[in-house]
Amino acid sequence: MHTDLPTIERIIAILGGIVVAVVSAKALKDDWKTPGFENHVFKLMLGLLCLGAIIAILAGANVLGNFPKAA
Amino acid sequence: MAVASVSHGGLVSDAHHGEVDQLYVETRELRLQGFMLFLVSDLVLFSSFIFAYLYMRSSGQGWPPPGINRLDVAFAAVNSVILFGSGATMHYALENWKHGNFGKYSGFMVATIILGALFLGGQAYEYTNLIVHDHVTWGGSGIFGASFFTLTGMHGFHVTVGVIYLTILLLQSIHGTYTKEKFFGLTAGTLYWHFVDVIWVALFSIFYLI
Repeated sequence: MHTDLPTIERIIAILGGIVVAVVSAKALKDDWKTPGFENHVFKLMLGLLCLGAIIAILAGANVLGNFPKAA
Repeated sequence: MAVASVSHGGLVSDAHHGEVDQLYVETRELRLQGFMLFLVSDLVLFSSFIFAYLYMRSSGQGWPPPGINRLDVAFAAVNSVILFGSGATMHYALENWKHGNFGKYSGFMVATIILGALFLGGQAYEYTNLIVHDHVTWGGSGIFGASFFTLTGMHGFHVTVGVIYLTILLLQSIHGTYTKEKFFGLTAGTLYWHFVDVIWVALFSIFYLI
């Protein structure tokens, strides 16, 4: 298997993204029922953080941002 | 006056009467609203630049402009994961403070600061590559260079401020500024750091993925 730098970066992005997505989803689940304005903001932020991690996973997996190289 | 202290790895509440400072209780909501307004004003600032970028991009002939390579998605994905990871560690830092685990709080705070600094290092590396190898500059690469360096630079400035801010918060908490009941500074720091993370979700998507 040919492992150049971009491949290693993609693997790190996927693995790291999975960890962050799982951790932020767990934190969101744990905080789901906490009341108060600031906690609702935190929940929104955690949800967006989880979304960002999923986007990073998809980018690492070449699902997003996979463009043909310029000539 | 209430005195706050940290001792033997555990947080101690206000020492004098075992009660939270009344002034703190009365002003906390106001301070929270003030800080949220600050974040909203920052959101407006970023939104203005983002929509200006998207408008200019949509009115051009293909993107990126001829002669400019696409940005390195793989490296940016790693850098993004580092920043998003720092958001998770910051969340757990605050949670541990609320539960009185000063040791874990400090660990998560230090991890957040290190991850934030790593993100900045990654951004500096990317800038260097763009300027030196791809010859993309703020003023010499048209709308692409101007919008990329302006938006990511503005975000990088926010991350830099955040790293300094979190370092000050960590030092303050070590010196006993906050207690288990009075920690608005830490709440504000967490809100700010999450905000910086969320802004990067948008910037990463519009510059690297579409």
